[in-house]
Amino acid sequence: MNAQELITLARTQQRAALDEQAGKSLLAAYGVAVPQSRTVKNAGEVDIAFATLKPPLVVKIMSPDILHKSDAGGVKVGLQSAADVKDAINTMAASPKIQGARIDGYLLEEMAPAGQEMVIGGLRDPQFGPLVMVGLGGIFVEVLRDVSFRICPITRLDAAEMLNELKGVAILDGARGMKPVSIDAIIDVLMKVGGENGLLMRHADDVAEADINPLIVSGNGAVAVDARFILSTK
Amino acid sequence: MMNKNNALETFSPLFEPKTIAVVGASARSFALPNTFMKRIRDLGYKGDIYPIHPSAAEIDGLTAYKSLADTPKPIDYAYIAVAGGLIPAMLETAKGRLRFAHVISSGFGEVDEGRDLQEKLVAAAHAGGLRLIGPNCMGLFSPRGSVTFAEVGQRDVGTVGVISQSGGLGTDIIRRGFARGVKFSGVVTVGNCADVVPSELLEYYLADAQTKVIGMYLETAKDGRRLFETLLAAKASKPVVILKGGRTQQGLAAAASHTGSLAGDDRAWVALSRQTGCVLVETLDQFVDTLLIFQSLKPNTAQPTKRVTLFGNGGGTSVLATDYFARLGLAVTPFGADTIDRLAALKLPPGTSITNPVDCPVGTLQQEDGKVAEKILDIIYAHGKPDALVMHLNLSAFVGRAKPEVLDNLMAAALRVQQKYPGQAHFMLVLRSDGEPALEERKRSFRVNAMALGVPVYDEMSNAGTALAALQWHERFIYTRAGSNA
Repeated sequence: MNAQELITLARTQQRAALDEQAGKSLLAAYGVAVPQSRTVKNAGEVDIAFATLKPPLVVKIMSPDILHKSDAGGVKVGLQSAADVKDAINTMAASPKIQGARIDGYLLEEMAPAGQEMVIGGLRDPQFGPLVMVGLGGIFVEVLRDVSFRICPITRLDAAEMLNELKGVAILDGARGMKPVSIDAIIDVLMKVGGENGLLMRHADDVAEADINPLIVSGNGAVAVDARFILSTK
Repeated sequence: MMNKNNALETFSPLFEPKTIAVVGASARSFALPNTFMKRIRDLGYKGDIYPIHPSAAEIDGLTAYKSLADTPKPIDYAYIAVAGGLIPAMLETAKGRLRFAHVISSGFGEVDEGRDLQEKLVAAAHAGGLRLIGPNCMGLFSPRGSVTFAEVGQRDVGTVGVISQSGGLGTDIIRRGFARGVKFSGVVTVGNCADVVPSELLEYYLADAQTKVIGMYLETAKDGRRLFETLLAAKASKPVVILKGGRTQQGLAAAASHTGSLAGDDRAWVALSRQTGCVLVETLDQFVDTLLIFQSLKPNTAQPTKRVTLFGNGGGTSVLATDYFARLGLAVTPFGADTIDRLAALKLPPGTSITNPVDCPVGTLQQEDGKVAEKILDIIYAHGKPDALVMHLNLSAFVGRAKPEVLDNLMAAALRVQQKYPGQAHFMLVLRSDGEPALEERKRSFRVNAMALGVPVYDEMSNAGTALAALQWHERFIYTRAGSNA
């Protein structure tokens, strides 16, 4: 499916948002790296899927009824074997917060290499059109609200200035003994999302809000580990 | 987006109307439109004025006409202040004979029960083949066209073009601007922006050769996207100062994501400023202070302002200003040894600080009846070489201490030296006073002299600092982006 087909399908299914896999496919269509993944309907399909992936894996519930997967117990990380994956799926299916929900299946996904967690977001402003946002992950965004916004489309210079505007920018350069991360990789993703022919400009009418959270950035690349796209109400 | 020539062609008749119709003038009493007619005649408007009235044959000595369709010549500009419900039918009769209807009346989209009426008004404007400005505003000030809604008393054509979504604030901007020496190329109050939107007038001012600086007071920006695109395309070719009011919570209301909840309306305006180089200010004072600096000083885009010298009387004032300037990114850093040696050689009295800030008590400044300032300034210019020089005088401190001519000499020295080094450093004056009438009068006359030489004058150090930081912002934007495709 191409990018527009992903959105059209979600609209046909009367979804308010793209599910995680569709969201990642949308990002992949714009050249943003996402982890290798497979979907399974139930524990019975795990063996075949597991063989094509490189552990450790993460398993995530896929349900239009569950917005916050971790809170519902719908995420399990660090799974090394097919048996671990099956156990995780069976435990999720039995959990009280998940039992009543519609379940589309389970996402088996390779885990991203360690790195700095970032957040990249998008928003359709009623006055200015699409905006793109960037921030550092975790407490930087949740508690300190240390983020910067720009009106789309942005240039590479805008993207670099967005990062420099963050109070926590020194962390990207390797403060406190951490490894420096690739600024270019973050700027690349910002351009693919918020640049001239980026996702937010191309789908300005459809995407009301977007969250890539986290984007895990290492010394040589960036991977979108989770993504949510909330569709506009037309 | 409108192209440059279109904007000029469309709006030139607004700023220089050859014929003006006035709707709502009374034959018996003196209503707002009568005042408007008086003001434009006082300002020397030379074109035809057509009062529009259903029954009167003459108003204030001018022949009246029954409708916008009955005037001898087509109308460039109509000032309309009558009951809102009457206006749509009136505009429909114009049938291509009227270019701009400026609807002053209120009771339209700004109140719930007036929304339908505003839609009718816009439809009538389209049917009448005209552009509508307003409704719910005060009018137009265009010195080159001798048109004014405000009491102005002068007609100097200036270089500052203003668009204001508030009529009352429009009056404040004009009158306070005048008092500070700001001269306008135009001020348009646009009220509800039912038809003509601020970005269209921005396009006009950007294309208009008379306008060098643009100021906008905005409350909402339903044309936000066009505003962004217009400013982006302009590449800060003219400084644009935006005073944004009425920040709504629209963007927050329905936020379901992190990004949504983090947005807030302010973020978009900050982004607008960073991406296009426009200057955001927060108060009316900052707005006028900033327009004044851009009117007076030529941005140095080859070397953005960084190092500032403060020179004047008041130790505490100098310290506070140094802190304040530093917070704005303006460095009041000590001179090099050479400059300090030269200042030391002047053998100024004890209590004088010569490292930058240069703090000279009244006792120092009254040496040689104030002519000492010229020597100090000469050394600062020739050897200190700051990007900007702020000279401040606390007029109150001279009362009862020095002969009156000391202040005159200090002012004369300041204005003379800055002319000796044209283009070398931004020169600004801060004249501090305490409200005492005689001092205020001296300050006013000093300001007039300074403004005549293009030197901007501020009331306090913080006002000068904010304005200088705005100039720095503009300079840096162009400096950073010159030659890049960004």
